[in-house]
Amino acid sequence: MLDGFSCLDLTDRQGQFTGRILADLGMRVIKVEPPGGDPVRHLGPFKDDTVGPETSLPFAFMNGGKESITLDVATDDGRRMLLDLVEHVDVVLESFPPGHMEGLGLGPAELQARRPGLIVSSLSPFGQDGPHSSYLATDMVAVAMGGLMFISGDPALTPVRPPETQAFYYGSVFAAYGVLLALFQRGDDGPGQAIDVSMQESIATQEHMIREAAFDGVEITRNGSQHKLTAPANIFPCTDGHVYLFILSARDWDRLLDVWPDHPAELDAPELKPPANRRAHIGLINPHVEEFTSRFSKGELTTLLQTHGIPCLPVNSPADFLHQDQVKARDFFGELESPALGRYQAPRFPALFDGARPAPAGPPPACGQDNDALYGQWLGLGPADLELLSARGVV
Amino acid sequence: MAGILAGIRIVSLSTGIAGPNAARMLANYGAEVFKVESRAGGLDAFRSYGDTPESSPRFVEVNLNTRSITLNLKRPEGVALLKELVAVADVVMDNFRPGVMERLGLGPDELLAIKPDLIVVRMPGLGSTGPLSGYGTWGPTLTAYSGLTYLWNHPGQPRPVGSQGVYPDYLTGVMVPVVVTAALLQRRRTKKGTVIDVAQVDLAAYMLGTIFLDALVNGRDAQPRGNDSPHMAPHGCYRCSGTDRYCVIAVEDDEQWHALCGVVGPTIADDARFATFVGRQHHRTELNAAIASWTESRDAVEVMEVLQRAGVPAGVVQSGADLAADEHLEARGFLETVSHPILGEITMAGLPIHFSLGGAESYKSPPPLGSDNEYLITGLLGHDADELAKFQEQEIVY
Repeated sequence: MLDGFSCLDLTDRQGQFTGRILADLGMRVIKVEPPGGDPVRHLGPFKDDTVGPETSLPFAFMNGGKESITLDVATDDGRRMLLDLVEHVDVVLESFPPGHMEGLGLGPAELQARRPGLIVSSLSPFGQDGPHSSYLATDMVAVAMGGLMFISGDPALTPVRPPETQAFYYGSVFAAYGVLLALFQRGDDGPGQAIDVSMQESIATQEHMIREAAFDGVEITRNGSQHKLTAPANIFPCTDGHVYLFILSARDWDRLLDVWPDHPAELDAPELKPPANRRAHIGLINPHVEEFTSRFSKGELTTLLQTHGIPCLPVNSPADFLHQDQVKARDFFGELESPALGRYQAPRFPALFDGARPAPAGPPPACGQDNDALYGQWLGLGPADLELLSARGVV
Repeated sequence: MAGILAGIRIVSLSTGIAGPNAARMLANYGAEVFKVESRAGGLDAFRSYGDTPESSPRFVEVNLNTRSITLNLKRPEGVALLKELVAVADVVMDNFRPGVMERLGLGPDELLAIKPDLIVVRMPGLGSTGPLSGYGTWGPTLTAYSGLTYLWNHPGQPRPVGSQGVYPDYLTGVMVPVVVTAALLQRRRTKKGTVIDVAQVDLAAYMLGTIFLDALVNGRDAQPRGNDSPHMAPHGCYRCSGTDRYCVIAVEDDEQWHALCGVVGPTIADDARFATFVGRQHHRTELNAAIASWTESRDAVEVMEVLQRAGVPAGVVQSGADLAADEHLEARGFLETVSHPILGEITMAGLPIHFSLGGAESYKSPPPLGSDNEYLITGLLGHDADELAKFQEQEIVY
């Protein structure tokens, strides 16, 4: 989809997913790694638990389909070369601490001076300005400060963060949207934009927590997966695991009572028709529903309820998900091959275009694999030049 | 500067969170979004969360900046008017179950026959194809199906727990705008339309890419890890003074560890078990207890501030009230206030993308149901006022 657009990706772990999304959509994404390689190459888990710069699985996921060059942008030569490279691309992605790029003389103004129309996307935990912009953050800190952690987990235990790095990822999705909007606005010869995306703000757009607290005077807290507006809408046990059963409308509630002929008579009460009333009576409803769901395997119950139009799906482990016929039928995982990883299956872009999943953008690059080609084509540097630069630690 | 997507016209047939949120995220950047509803059993479900269909704060927030039209799609004349709108639109999006649009005669083939360069977006929970595509789904069922709920837990718990959040809906709200904008960029080059099928469950699974790679490459079945990290120790969530107050603390390297020791003191600094990263990982239960005994008598904000000053990543587990009062978010202009004719001033989350040259529209409440019928029928589609009156009387525009 994005054929013809290209991007220099200077991001660290926090922002690498943006380039992955853009590469999946067809943009040419060139990673600019510091000499010695992106530190993410040293993050596990690794293929076969064999530590090495080409076997990191977080690196493979976030950098699939990208090219790689090495460059020390903190050196004078490196800075000049980056400015030369910028003339050839549409987008620069970065996720350094706010002010870092400006400190190197590589702020949006300097970059755009060399390439009018350049789009510079900066992703950071708290944004480029404001009193907390220099606060240090990991993914968990950004998730907590954005509100999502407050509403996650068992109320009897401490709040719990989501798996993997959801603040990095969700912020990266917004950064990708910002880049595409700016490209759309720019057209062939319009102005570029500097884009500032905050992970905290990205997370805080979820769940209406600000409006509910500030306007409605309602504060949701953590309560497992019990839905805040209706019941039964929760995780329920089966003989071999759990399902998530979700009943909203009175129609679906009636359907549930129909497929459950021996349900307790008290559930027929007319006041239990509206979802808010069922939610107010979860102490009555949920234990009865648990007794019903416990009679079935999660597969049997899902089939039974869905056959009657009732929303219910199994709580899958990641391994369960891989083996679902629905997932296989839609080719969510596809084969890739790289020298270090061999042939392997990997997640693909989460949409079909005209009935087909877009071809995987490719495996992750080896560190600096495109130095010769790219520096040769774009900067006119030959092997002897690169050898000199390499000796000085620039490339 | 005008909204970036000014001039792009979108037809949104959607209800609840995922579809409306995606449409409004495009409207926030200037797209003209026609939200299609009908009094004949086709009102957005979120209108029921207010005293009247016009006064649901939940509906207002997920439908900002959209236009409102009412077309009765149970009547062929209503479908015909929708097709007239499609002929002058750029994007049609729906979040119905698979098959609903086809039964209305509005499947992708019919839509592309009307407008060959149309972008058609569908977003059913499990996708438009595959053996389970007809299954009914809601956000939390998809979180469960994807593997997220299973992993979103402390280790060793007897049952899955998860979150109050409906992450797939909010992922859809941004990823659909991503693919729509990419398709608009492609259309400039190819002059062709695209049919996009986003399975909301795939969006959730895409956010677990490393865990799935570990399963596929190494055959590992990931288990809940809670707040522990294989790369950092300490890395946890610690109770502070007051009710339900917590601060998270994450130590990435030895420098941050020494900074933490300087603040917390000898209970961790002088314990030989915690002297190395490996020791801190191995004894993380004891380490977490020692840190919690320091935080539990302290205010969460003070814990965050003293640790940040010392150079340790730390953050308050913020509630909605904390977010609404967050001075940093206020300083960045993230807290927006929207005027609504019935509800008054409503404070809500703003947009997390800040453009140096602008590009977003100011937040506007969606107008009362059907307010844009006249603009659509007589203005855009060129029918005369008598025809509009007839459509209304016959409950076609209804």
